[in-house]
Amino acid sequence: MNTSRSRWFFSALAVIALLLGTCLRSGAQGVTYDELVHSADHPQDWLTYGGNYASQRFSELKQVNTETVKDLKIQWVYQLKHQGIFESSPIVVDGIMYVTEPPTTVTALDVHTGKPLWRWTATLPRDLLTIGLFPTNRGVAILDDTVYVATIDAHLVALDAKTGAVKWDVEVGNNKESVAITQAPLAINGKIIVGMGGGEGGLRGYIDAYDAKDGHRLWRLYTIPTTGEPGVETWEGDSYKYGGATTWNTGSYDPETNTLFWGTGNPAPDWNGDARKGDNLYSCSLLAIDADTGKMKWYFQFSPHETHDWDAAEPPILFDAKIDGTMRKLVAQANRNAFYYVLDRDTGKFITGMAYAKETWAKGLDANGRPIELPNNQPTTKGNLIYPSITGSVNWTSSSYSPLTGLFYVDTREQGAYYYKGHPEMEPNNPRDIGGGGGQKVVGGDKAYSAIRALEGTSGKLKWQFKMIGDTWTGTLVTAGNLVFCADAGGNFFALNAETGEPLWHIQLGNSVRANPITYAVDGKQYLEAAAGNSVFVFRLP
Amino acid sequence: MTARYRFLCTSLFLAGLLAWAPTIAAQGPPVAPPHSPHPTPTPQSLAEGKTLFEGTCAGCHGIDGSGANGPDIRNVGKQLGPEGIYTMIATGGAMGSGMPNFSSLGDQKIWLLVNYVSTFDETGGGAVTGDPAKGKEVYEASGCSTCHMIDGKGGDSGPDLSQIGGVRSAGFLHDALLDPGANLPQTDAALQERSPYPSYTMYRVVMKDGKVIEGTRVDEDSFSIQLRDAKGQIRSIQKMDASKIEVEPDKSFMPSYKDKLSEAQLNDLVAYLAGLGAAR
Repeated sequence: MNTSRSRWFFSALAVIALLLGTCLRSGAQGVTYDELVHSADHPQDWLTYGGNYASQRFSELKQVNTETVKDLKIQWVYQLKHQGIFESSPIVVDGIMYVTEPPTTVTALDVHTGKPLWRWTATLPRDLLTIGLFPTNRGVAILDDTVYVATIDAHLVALDAKTGAVKWDVEVGNNKESVAITQAPLAINGKIIVGMGGGEGGLRGYIDAYDAKDGHRLWRLYTIPTTGEPGVETWEGDSYKYGGATTWNTGSYDPETNTLFWGTGNPAPDWNGDARKGDNLYSCSLLAIDADTGKMKWYFQFSPHETHDWDAAEPPILFDAKIDGTMRKLVAQANRNAFYYVLDRDTGKFITGMAYAKETWAKGLDANGRPIELPNNQPTTKGNLIYPSITGSVNWTSSSYSPLTGLFYVDTREQGAYYYKGHPEMEPNNPRDIGGGGGQKVVGGDKAYSAIRALEGTSGKLKWQFKMIGDTWTGTLVTAGNLVFCADAGGNFFALNAETGEPLWHIQLGNSVRANPITYAVDGKQYLEAAAGNSVFVFRLP
Repeated sequence: MTARYRFLCTSLFLAGLLAWAPTIAAQGPPVAPPHSPHPTPTPQSLAEGKTLFEGTCAGCHGIDGSGANGPDIRNVGKQLGPEGIYTMIATGGAMGSGMPNFSSLGDQKIWLLVNYVSTFDETGGGAVTGDPAKGKEVYEASGCSTCHMIDGKGGDSGPDLSQIGGVRSAGFLHDALLDPGANLPQTDAALQERSPYPSYTMYRVVMKDGKVIEGTRVDEDSFSIQLRDAKGQIRSIQKMDASKIEVEPDKSFMPSYKDKLSEAQLNDLVAYLAGLGAAR
């Protein structure tokens, strides 16, 4: 590039950046940790699974706003080369979109055209075990010039961001013991954090940190204590050895305190807790973890001795807000058990909480946030109707939070189920015994529905809702354009006014959107991305 | 994560099982791999089968086989017999059906399941007492083919009945003839992949310009609803253009045959319909 052209190029980029109200990243070194920390300064890119370390899925972009959104048009469509359950939330950096295809393929797309630049596919064992989960992948992490992906057979792989060449490949867990990973890893300062799934196969959950440069493991934190450790008494007998409590969804990170916030899954077996009496720590909990040592700073258990499969794996959202006139550092989660929780981010102390969806299992929460359980809320051999259903009031999809509105946007479902109690014994490594302990018969059809609910972030009080037909599995995105993006089970990708819930735009994509949407900007244009069926759809204004 | 898997599995399984019978007709019956003879059930083997069923099948079929997101299989022993059930478990649904292949369970465990599911209420679906040959005459004389299709012949504004005996019990069919609106099918094989909601639910829509559209719901999402009107025409309606959308419960385009057919004719018609499908 000659000097005058170079000067013209960077001047043009600067103008574009100003138009978008953003800063330009250097791009030369890839994505630095500092840029990940200050991702709000670079809204043209989507740098982490949750949009920022706080998992707010909030974008400062506002070219697409309540006035202009009606003009959104499809720009390109990318159809997957690997069919399956498509749940990927892409990363966008320096004109490249990194999207994952099921079960474990990373594809780098040119964001201008949707054309693949490179593709990497994991070599998987023929006898792959996926107990209690679908073989899919929800995204990658990026740090410096490397893309990180966790594979369905429980490896963590580092790929060159420009070429897809493998830099290193380490085993996180033994897939023959049912460990499998679908989540996007989280890249922090020199470390790659990744959890695991497969708890229904009869194992102890854990979360790991790996050196970003060479992949050697830096620490592992088990989510279930073992003999001699505090909390093991909350498991009857030796049930702690196969109690699940996996870490199967991506968590959040507070760089100021170097703390990870990661949710844990249900205890196993799911619907019959007779052989694991006790609170079953640290299942269905939020863990605050020292990112350097892997030591647990605090925990908060949402559902003690859980018997409905209500994991607490929903990505926790970090934000600061005033509580009773005092600015507080908060972490909030709309839990699968139908309650919304606000905790002190530094101490884990319960601040407030309330039901955000129909539930029939608890009278409420006590002063410490522990559920005040109602009688007859357990699965029975004849079936017991309980709200919410096994899939929960929300599942793995991400909520979002707007610092502009102070609202927490959750895609929730109103659905009950008859819970059945089966045998209490685990049958480890039986791929057909998906969880054991019973099952459900959902109250579906017209008796169930979904809704986008805007909750007051500091309390959980309902501000507005937008009802949807069917069972949503999308997650929400909120922008400075005062818009919330989501989709319904019928394949409608749509935008709502973030303050009122008024629908402003929708388009039929021909299949359900089963992945969190994102937004980014290229060449002065804001784009929206949604994954519908087995395709990536990208939209922008004309 | 189990829940997600189970939900998706049950959805696929339901679509697969409902589509199973017609697919067999098109492609020929599936063949089970070589296996041992049907073992005589014992109390112990039934108990083992129960445990296996709860861990493997109950998520889709309910703990008692009465159906969850998957279909009611309480009549499966009568409809398919031990070998038929074995084949279904060992081969899964036909291509595209979505029903998992459970051959990896192995011969012994499949037989445990076969014997256990055969113990479910075999008469729960209602007994067939009429004469199917006479029932066919009743079907033709009553104008059923105006709205229903059997093996490609007839109208299409009502459900295709070509396989109805494989997916609906005799009791259900009997009740549906007497009070069609009260017995709307919860799912329909032909529509299952298009809509997860009860089919043939009547809706009345008042448009903002005052026009009224009435019809059975073909599909619905958050922004639109598609109705089939009395003439069989599809009416696609954007919800934002409607001032009122209301369901008309217990109503159906299909008339009741309570006073139109004798009990004997009803039983004959039920016998004819119950013989259509997998049982043929």
